[in-house]
Amino acid sequence: MSEVPAALEGRVCFVEAHPFGGGAPVQRFRLSNGLEVLVLVDREAPVFSYQTWFAVGSRHERPGKTGLAHLFEHLMFNETEKLPYGVFDRKLEEAGAESNAATWVDWTYYYENLPREALGLATELESERMARLVLQEPQVAREKEVVMNERRMRVDDDVDGSVSELLYSTVFREHGYSWPTIGWMQDIEGFTTADCAEFYRAYYAPNNATLVVVGDVDVPALLSLVVERYGALSASARPREDVRPEPPQTEERRVEVHKPTETERLVVAYRGPALGDQDHAALSVVNDVLFAGRGSRLYGALVQRGELAIDCRGWVSTFRDPGLYEISVTARPDVTAEALLEVLDRELAEIVASPPTDDELARVKAKMELGALSGLQTVAGKAEQIGFWSVVTGDPSDAFRRLSAVRRLTPDDLLRAARRYLTPSSRTVILVRPSGDDEAEAE
Amino acid sequence: MRLHVEPSSALPLVGFSIAFGQGGAHDPVEREGLARASMRMLRRGGAGLDGKGIEDAVDRLGAEIGADASMSAVTVSGEVLARNASALFELVGRLLASPAFEPAELSKLVRESQAELVEARDNDRGLASRALRRTLFHGHPYARRVAGSVTSLAALTRADVVGWHAATITRANAWVTVYGDVDDARGRELAQRLLAGLPEGVPHQDPVCDPVRRVGRELVFVDKPERTQVQLSIGTLGTRGDDGDHHALIVANTAFGGTFTARLMNEVRGKRGWSYGASSRLSLDRRREAWSMWTAPGEADAPACLALQLDLLERLVNDGLTAEEVEFAKSYLARSHVFEVDTAEKRAHRELDAAVLALPDGYHASYLQRVAEVDVDRANAALRARLSADDLVIAAVGTRAASLDALTAATPRLARTTVAPHDLE
Repeated sequence: MSEVPAALEGRVCFVEAHPFGGGAPVQRFRLSNGLEVLVLVDREAPVFSYQTWFAVGSRHERPGKTGLAHLFEHLMFNETEKLPYGVFDRKLEEAGAESNAATWVDWTYYYENLPREALGLATELESERMARLVLQEPQVAREKEVVMNERRMRVDDDVDGSVSELLYSTVFREHGYSWPTIGWMQDIEGFTTADCAEFYRAYYAPNNATLVVVGDVDVPALLSLVVERYGALSASARPREDVRPEPPQTEERRVEVHKPTETERLVVAYRGPALGDQDHAALSVVNDVLFAGRGSRLYGALVQRGELAIDCRGWVSTFRDPGLYEISVTARPDVTAEALLEVLDRELAEIVASPPTDDELARVKAKMELGALSGLQTVAGKAEQIGFWSVVTGDPSDAFRRLSAVRRLTPDDLLRAARRYLTPSSRTVILVRPSGDDEAEAE
Repeated sequence: MRLHVEPSSALPLVGFSIAFGQGGAHDPVEREGLARASMRMLRRGGAGLDGKGIEDAVDRLGAEIGADASMSAVTVSGEVLARNASALFELVGRLLASPAFEPAELSKLVRESQAELVEARDNDRGLASRALRRTLFHGHPYARRVAGSVTSLAALTRADVVGWHAATITRANAWVTVYGDVDDARGRELAQRLLAGLPEGVPHQDPVCDPVRRVGRELVFVDKPERTQVQLSIGTLGTRGDDGDHHALIVANTAFGGTFTARLMNEVRGKRGWSYGASSRLSLDRRREAWSMWTAPGEADAPACLALQLDLLERLVNDGLTAEEVEFAKSYLARSHVFEVDTAEKRAHRELDAAVLALPDGYHASYLQRVAEVDVDRANAALRARLSADDLVIAAVGTRAASLDALTAATPRLARTTVAPHDLE
């Protein structure tokens, strides 16, 4: 299985092969400085996806410095020792790249999708910014402005964004999931260049990164490039994470908020399992019975038959630590959030009282199989699955193990998960009213 | 019926799209939203099933389907686990051929669609885009919303929907693409399942003509409370696929605002940090569509950002691009083109779009060659011929008291200003 060229022995080692569906496995290699390299050869098109996943997200920040991981994601597109401002992106675009990045609670990742000829360019650029980023006041100040404008767009002027922020800060009082990934506005304003430099030294190092390469690549050639470009980089002394597990929630929390919207909204969140918890798949299937598609129970009760809502959604957070089971419903004009809650409570009581039918379970399993396969049509989609599961649970094969776990679920498993998590004392309810209505807020 | 099959054994999935060349632009006056409502009715009853029965049947097959309308066409699309492809295509074929169109269900759909229009007012960028199109294409079908309006939806009757279906959902008006885990013969067999129950019908002629450019600079301010930003959408008329300078304008737009390092992004975000995003685009349809640029500056920066964008546009039209900018854009378009065709689904939809948008024969096959032929002179000639820095619409969504006067003052040669409430239909 190992495709490590003899000349590279001692500098990179083959670790293991992870089964990935029915096709070629994902090969895991490791450099002596700790850099993990995950490779899946896929010659369906003459392209590859090159992704760099760092095990740092907003959970690793601290109060007063929220949003630093996200701001840093922006700064990574700035100047390096070899590349003046703008040249990094210019080179990628000239090669025909699709590129961007994303930050969330547990991770940050950067990607380039490129024609196969550009493998050398990808390794050159990504290794350069992992080790030789230039952080200076003008760039930091400008990028802070950009991020503040992003925050205005995604949060301050967006009802759903601002309510989501309120939800997480209401539920989490200890854990780092409490603050928004984009950060509080006053924290973004307050960042210094020194903050950024300290963050870079701590987290942007080979021993905190995983390269994921999927596509039409030659593995020995890739490894040679990776060793050449990354091999001399030093590992960092990664800070100990000051994890503060969230204590159990023992009574319902309820918040009423006014927003400039014409329709009321209801957001309900129960405490949810970590992605690695064996109940995660079961609760996700419960959620799909309730919310996935137009045939789901709540879509029927709230949107189609009930005509109370415009839309309803449910989502079990895919976080490394226990997160939320979030439910959000947008009311039709003149329908109150309380009316939505009444129907929701009735349906939740039903699924806690008796398990979904065999037919419902079969339908959800078929939909999940379709969803899993649909996400693997591009090299980027495959690389995202590999990177995400590798960083959050430690094993890219979990993408398919989860599908197997779903196939094995029985109605009894779903009943157990529903009863474990859908407990009224552990939930938080946000009632969103249009501005101009009675604005007295109550908790 | 025209058919394209795009085989790929990469995954055990089969997908399809079937389009009919009658969209929102062809809805009767005061019945806007008819095409879209009729399509949405297809999954609310038919083939002996009610709406819930249809959804359950689709879910059991491990499938997804969607039915929607664009300006020039309506489409049903779907994807299914390969082992269940025959059953899904059979089901969709029966839904296309024998929808129930229950009056009670139509009333429910109308109420649901009206509520969606109200909820859409929460989307500021959408409001800016809507204000731009409503003004830029004033008097032309492209000014409409494909979803219709609260008023036009209320006027829809079952007879409207039945009549629309009979005239539109026919073999003569259909384009079909099947892609994924099929060979050519299997793809053709599946396509026939979609079409089996449809009448032959008569091919539609498209009566929509090109829109006329509005004269002068016009500011449309959409007043919405409690905004911290201004959404700016600025546009003029753009291109058609059969314009001689179509590809030159694509290259020029890419250089100006089509990539992260393009001139517009560099000036607005890179140098000044005024907006998270800054981009320009050329929309494409059967008739001349819009060229537009978008930013979302904070309230304090909005007047300066608007002035900068207008200046950039003026210099783009008058002074043009540099040869270096043009060559860079060509390189980007040529090398990134592989991502337009790297999956069977993308290749299939590209063919379908070419048919639906009535693009010239060989449009996609000759695309790279046409792009390669563009030089700086052709790109700049296209900019001068097609875009205008004087005849344009500026749509802004913000809070009037905080932003309107400053935006007006920041716009030289402003001919007209209109203030609209954010709930304007």
